[in-house]
Amino acid sequence: MRKVLYYLPLFAFLALALFLLSGLFSDPRERDSASLNKALPEFALADVMQPDKIWTPSELKGETYLLNVWGTWCPTCNAELGYLTELRQQGVKIVGLYYELPRDPAFDAPFNLAELQKDVQQKLQQQGDPYQFNMLDIDRSLSLDLGVSGAPETFIVDADGIIRAHHIGDINPLVWRSKLAPIYQEWRKP
Amino acid sequence: MIVEAGQLALTFAFALSLLLSTVPLYGSFTANQRLLLLAKPLAFGLFIFSAVAMAALIYAFCTSDFTVINVAQNSSSTLPWYYQITASFGSHEGSMLLWVLMLCGWTALVAQFSKALPLLLQGRILGILGLISAGFIAFSLFMSNPFARSLPFYPVEGRDLNPLLQDFGMIMHPPTLYMGYVGFAVAFAFAIAALMGGRFDSVWARWVRPWALAAWLFLTLGIMLGSWWAYNELGWGGWWFWDPVENASFMPWLAGTALIHSLAVTEKRGTFKSWTVLLALSAFALSLVGAFLVRSGVLVSVHSFATDPGRGLYLLAFLLVVIGGSLLLYGSRMNSVRSQARYQLFSREMLLWGNNIFLLTACLIVFLGTLFPLFHKELGLGSISIGEPFFNQMFYYLTIPFALLLGLGPWVRWKQQQVMPLIRPLAMVAVAALIVSLGVLASMQSVQANLALLGMLLGAWVGISALAEVMLRLRQFGSISKGITKLNASHYGMTLAHIGFAVLVIGVAMTKTYTTERDVRMQQGDVATVAGYEFTLTEVYELNGPNYGGQAAELDVRKDGQFVTHLHAEKRFYRIQRTIMTESAVHARLSRDLYVSLGEELPGDAWALRIHVKSFVRWIWLGGVLMALGALLALCDKRYRRKQTQREPGAEHA
Amino acid sequence: MSRLACLLILLFSVNALCQEVLSFDTDAQRQLYQDLTAELRCPQCQNQNIADSNAVVAVDMRQKTYQLIREGQDRQQVVDYMINRYGDFVHYLPPVNRYTLWLWLLPLLMLLALFATGVYRRSRQTSALETPEVNTSAVELDQLIARYRSKKP
Repeated sequence: MRKVLYYLPLFAFLALALFLLSGLFSDPRERDSASLNKALPEFALADVMQPDKIWTPSELKGETYLLNVWGTWCPTCNAELGYLTELRQQGVKIVGLYYELPRDPAFDAPFNLAELQKDVQQKLQQQGDPYQFNMLDIDRSLSLDLGVSGAPETFIVDADGIIRAHHIGDINPLVWRSKLAPIYQEWRKP
Repeated sequence: MIVEAGQLALTFAFALSLLLSTVPLYGSFTANQRLLLLAKPLAFGLFIFSAVAMAALIYAFCTSDFTVINVAQNSSSTLPWYYQITASFGSHEGSMLLWVLMLCGWTALVAQFSKALPLLLQGRILGILGLISAGFIAFSLFMSNPFARSLPFYPVEGRDLNPLLQDFGMIMHPPTLYMGYVGFAVAFAFAIAALMGGRFDSVWARWVRPWALAAWLFLTLGIMLGSWWAYNELGWGGWWFWDPVENASFMPWLAGTALIHSLAVTEKRGTFKSWTVLLALSAFALSLVGAFLVRSGVLVSVHSFATDPGRGLYLLAFLLVVIGGSLLLYGSRMNSVRSQARYQLFSREMLLWGNNIFLLTACLIVFLGTLFPLFHKELGLGSISIGEPFFNQMFYYLTIPFALLLGLGPWVRWKQQQVMPLIRPLAMVAVAALIVSLGVLASMQSVQANLALLGMLLGAWVGISALAEVMLRLRQFGSISKGITKLNASHYGMTLAHIGFAVLVIGVAMTKTYTTERDVRMQQGDVATVAGYEFTLTEVYELNGPNYGGQAAELDVRKDGQFVTHLHAEKRFYRIQRTIMTESAVHARLSRDLYVSLGEELPGDAWALRIHVKSFVRWIWLGGVLMALGALLALCDKRYRRKQTQREPGAEHA
Repeated sequence: MSRLACLLILLFSVNALCQEVLSFDTDAQRQLYQDLTAELRCPQCQNQNIADSNAVVAVDMRQKTYQLIREGQDRQQVVDYMINRYGDFVHYLPPVNRYTLWLWLLPLLMLLALFATGVYRRSRQTSALETPEVNTSAVELDQLIARYRSKKP
């Protein structure tokens, strides 16, 4: 017994080393989402292109789709537009949630919808347009309710309006095939 | 050319470290005196070559040689020359070289000051240090070469040093901190050498003590400098955030503090042997684990280095060899060691055991708080965060018994202490502590049952008790003036360090309780009143620095109509790195800091300013400095030097 | 006299007095806001609380915290609001459950175990046979050191 006691520090250290080893191969910034398997929160957001059109969760039900949080100011979002457009061509429904940045009165011009529409149109023409439509989250309130920490982020929402996946970061072929596509297929109504 | 010379010097240093880690150790097992004698010159050579390598790197930074990737990524030609020098250890690669240099420096110091040691022990200690050096030099050479060139394509201008690191505190912080981290390698090597030879006794403990003290001294200073730097540079008035990087330095500090206390027991009473050896191993092991955490990227931290899984794997393998190997040796050798000393339940031995228990528990708390999120996630339980609320809660409950014990400790004799003789002086100390704390708080018109009162009480108890104990000791020599030269320097050192702890506790408790913080919107001429101080914003204007632009704010501070000071706060925009930095304005007094940081511009020609009045915040760093000074005093104790003045006859035999 | 002076200064400086960036009804609310923004973690940053971060999401969370406090919600309600959206990750104090319980339990267990070890070892020593005392005074220790030195390696 006494002998074993002196080996205790060694055992403790080996256990620690095991955790550190597994830690080396996982991303420390990856965190799990609190929104999974919850219904989409309540919202009423205007369409970016037709501001008179107000979208609510019930209108989005009936089909499994991707909810993609993005903004023209975000280089990573612009980079993934091309691949998302490919997905759209394969029949995946993608809805855009436009993540507008807060404006600093000292440096930035006040918010101007016409300018934003021009920006969005231009970007989508250049990079490809994956979206059925875009909702404008001007004060990022829906983003906060969804637990969005920045752009780009993507949710898979099923036909009943339940969130089935939450991906932080860009979507590329690897991420889609290994992580998101299986979930999408599972919840897609035949 | 110079850069290639540096690379070459580092390669030579690697070769020498390989020799140092094999030749003397082989000699020690074959009793070959000639091989053992080689250890010293090898150690000196190792130090010289690593110093040449560091000098070459500094040269590359000072001449803005952007063909070197490290220079191009961490410096620029507009950077002031003194920051060009410090930029040489601002990156992962450069700081690794600094680490290597420090390690070789300690090795050379051991070689220089170990003439009194038996040659066998000396050879083994230097051999172990050589082994550790070899591991780190190889890491520097093969995994993160600071001299790597990007020829034939290289940038015309560098990416500049991270603005956070462009500060005086940053010039001092890493070298001091690394001296501390790496310094524990010496105690580690002593422990391993003793494990090989199987001899642990008072003599061994006395040899290790100054080395452990010196490392602890540097680590204390390094942590304090880091905290002071964060306070000045980060712009939110915080001095400790429990970030993994900070915790990585706090864990070896706690283990090191336990070690220097436990060494006292082993030296004076020849007991606690296996425990002391374990602490000597742990202090350095925790330094290594800390280095791994900071450099491998397994944890998310504010200021970790850029990550690379290859580096992480190498460091982990190195940890397995060094820590795993040493703990294996410990397990196999230690169970044969027996302590013989006897002591009663109420004795200094038991109180120091209590000290060690609390310090080690504190260390476990920091360890768990830092790594539990990793365990939690790797076990598939999801992400959690552990931060200030957890640590504050745990340290609150831990500090109370620890401080109570600390006030008692110095009064208690070795072996056995009668309770009765202590009751009167300690009751007087307790009453004095009560009066002082109530008096101080009453003068601030704030006597409440709060954290400040608790902190004051504990601090006063520890501080007054330490002072009173010295007074009593001195009086035992006849009179105080007679006794003052007779008491050991290490006794004064202990007293000073304990007072430092008291000051630190008071500082933390008072800052936490009485800090007032306001975010205000100010135009020129506006007055903000915070905690009785009136801050008037007199001017905001554009800045134009060598490698930054931005704005500066001038404020006048008055109290009760009397002018107190003028403050100058800056918000800098570093052009190359494109980052915004706050240079807070601080007016420091012993009882409070006035702290202003300039925030963003608001509509209508106004500015957001964050104004803090932080009570007693200086005491936190003052406490740390006193602790470090205490260690310095203890190092001056002639007991540690006597062996060197008398070494000549012994040296011939060895 | 000085009170009069104070009053005068107050009277004349009242125009120039500035407002706080965020106004609160009570000091308790302001304290709650400062505490909460210090213990909620910015989900996008490296390792910062939302008070110290200027990331967009941190600014939004600060605003939401302010809004909820002004609506009269207490500490737990605000924390729950954030955890509902961002998970346990967002709070610097993890919830207590059968896994995280070890965070508090392990230090306590170690404290008790080490304390017991100390007492046990001491009691064994007193009952052990009389052994030579290694109560080395400074002089004796120096002699010991000299003896070691004179030995060949």
